[in-house]
Amino acid sequence: MKRVFIRGNVAIAEASLVAGLKFYAGYPITPTSDIMEYLHLKLPRYGGLAVQFEDEIASINAIIGASWAGAKSMTATSGPGFSLMLEGLSLAHITETPIVVVYVMRTGPATGVPTRSGQADILQARFGAHGDYITPIYAPSSVQEAFDLTIKAFNTAEKLRTPVILLSDAVIAHLWENMIFRDRDEVEIIERKRPNTDPSNYLPYKPEDDGVAPMAEFGKGYHILVESLTHDERGYYVPTTEVQRRMIERITKKILLHIDYVYEQKTYLTDDADYIIVSYGSSSRTAKSVVNDLRARGVKIGLLDIKTLWPLNEYAIKKVCESCTRIFVLENNIGKFVWDIQRIVRDIDVIPVSIIDLDLPDPDEALKVIEKWL
Amino acid sequence: MGLSKEDLVYRVIRNNNDKFRVNVLIDRCKECRLCVIVCPNKVLVMSEEFNIRGFHYPLPLHMEKCVGCKLCEYSCPDFAIYVEVIKS
Amino acid sequence: MAIEALTLKAPLHPLDKYLRLTRIPTLWCPGCGLGVLLGCLLRAINRRVEEEVLKRDNLVFVTGIGCSARTTFYVDFDGAHTLHGRAIAFASGAKLANPDLELIVIGGDGDIAAIGGNHLIHAARKNMDMFVIMNTNFIYAMTGGQLAPTTPLKVITTTTPYGNPERPLDVIKLLSVFEINYLARGSTTHPHILENYFYKALGLKGFRFVEVVSTCPEIFGRHMGIRDAIQLYNELKKRIIFKPKPKPEESMISWEKGIIIGEFMINNYESFIELIKKTTYGIEN
Repeated sequence: MKRVFIRGNVAIAEASLVAGLKFYAGYPITPTSDIMEYLHLKLPRYGGLAVQFEDEIASINAIIGASWAGAKSMTATSGPGFSLMLEGLSLAHITETPIVVVYVMRTGPATGVPTRSGQADILQARFGAHGDYITPIYAPSSVQEAFDLTIKAFNTAEKLRTPVILLSDAVIAHLWENMIFRDRDEVEIIERKRPNTDPSNYLPYKPEDDGVAPMAEFGKGYHILVESLTHDERGYYVPTTEVQRRMIERITKKILLHIDYVYEQKTYLTDDADYIIVSYGSSSRTAKSVVNDLRARGVKIGLLDIKTLWPLNEYAIKKVCESCTRIFVLENNIGKFVWDIQRIVRDIDVIPVSIIDLDLPDPDEALKVIEKWL
Repeated sequence: MGLSKEDLVYRVIRNNNDKFRVNVLIDRCKECRLCVIVCPNKVLVMSEEFNIRGFHYPLPLHMEKCVGCKLCEYSCPDFAIYVEVIKS
Repeated sequence: MAIEALTLKAPLHPLDKYLRLTRIPTLWCPGCGLGVLLGCLLRAINRRVEEEVLKRDNLVFVTGIGCSARTTFYVDFDGAHTLHGRAIAFASGAKLANPDLELIVIGGDGDIAAIGGNHLIHAARKNMDMFVIMNTNFIYAMTGGQLAPTTPLKVITTTTPYGNPERPLDVIKLLSVFEINYLARGSTTHPHILENYFYKALGLKGFRFVEVVSTCPEIFGRHMGIRDAIQLYNELKKRIIFKPKPKPEESMISWEKGIIIGEFMINNYESFIELIKKTTYGIEN
């Protein structure tokens, strides 16, 4: 354990090395390229390999292939690249492949402002790929969280045999902060379950009691089938309603069964709060500043800082908010996460505080909006 | 899950001369007739009967002319015909 | 010398040991070249496994989407049936993560050269270690008969109802600009030659590519007015010109002028894995 002073993207890269990353495939894109460059240099020293491919579509497909060859794998991108990766993400879901996709949001749509931030893509991260599935999404608001949540992303991917998104933004990417660096033996590292039966009894998509099927890898005599069509437990294409339902239930249930592991939120001064600001990512930093300013004025206000943007533990969110008179949702987009909070808390007033900013929302601007509603 | 290789049985029609045996797994055949036309010696003739899928299948009728070239085996898209060398 | 009728237990056909027998017969149409391609490939693999050049459990079949891509259903090896056009990318990742694996990518002319064209070009450019087999039936068969990059000029397809205005692609010529280790074209009308090309490719490292010209009676045959499997086979066979070692500039794949099969390039260039080992890990061969 040691204290280091680094920037967010480097924290993510270092965390992936601690978690056991062995294969990285990527494509240059601002503001994420430095993760790829860092790993190109460092990953071989850990016995792994980073390769730049011809586009993001090749990158996401390559890391799925690498995961089936037994390697923990990752890619990192931003809005335009993630849009290209959607079909690949869909493939990772139906084949139940553990991968980590680091998505550093930037200003959009289209090319937008490559070097600056935004939070417009949270629903794309959640639902952008076609089909029914649940992608765990972790959103750091600090360099320490970027490190910790990247390790958690790998653990979630391996534990639940699923793709996971680490949803950062351009602010956190190049923000320099102190953080505590923990190495392999100081944190929990989870490895995927491997089959404990011989090849003739092994079914690649048959879940055990925890909802997750053990995952064999290429080259070990299991003759596995990685199948992009709707398939049964053997991986054979069976186009029937019954098998489709079973498959969708399998891939969604395994996430929900472990929601207590996956879902994380942080609360700040919420115990006696009349008002709560809900926020996430770099906008939480703005929200915290607003909370401090208003508390200094005697307003009983708190912050609910969401770390897992999907799936949501609605009970946990409701519990924090239930004794408030009004809730604010502060985000750097036209108002997207606010819909979840409105849906979850229902009978409490929810005010969207949508502040579009090329950096994180300006605390003074946010304060001006919020104080009108106190 | 379900059938393993060892549980499967196939209906086979076969014929041989001193050196070669031609075997037809009749229920795999889809009546493309490629085996009949690539055979250089016209050993094969399509059956009158149907297999389980409603296709006619090749009969190794004229084995006296078979030279074991295996063109039928190599041209079949369905693994339905193969030639064995018999030790004499 | 009499016809016997019996019932026997599997395995029977010499290639049964490499097939997932519960999924046979294949979904391919009567007379489809894909079954012939698969037979040649499995025989070539068998020879290499018996020589101990290849280990069966190290072989991985990776396919995209289309009729050719259904091959992974039928073979009893590690397999991946992935996304349209992306088999080469998936295979690259698997190979780089575990260099002991032997990757065989099978796809159609649309899957490999149209939507997958970018991945094809860059894998070839890098001499990436994999064996790519492209089944050219001149059409998009599985989806009902749309235009493919290899469809001849003037042919009527479902998306060229007034005749194809596009010049077709000669993938052999395209790939010949790269330093790859094996480049050949075979045909399902000449299975012995095709098997030998597969056999040769399986013994080499780096990027190996075999284009297999193939019959598609139901879809392409129908568009050409030759729906009978035998007739299409004969028409294709008529146009095949066998040249043992032609130069890439001589490559021709034309229904009007002829289709040249042969081995266009056989080399021993350093493969991508070897270059990575050299540069990144300082390991010389």
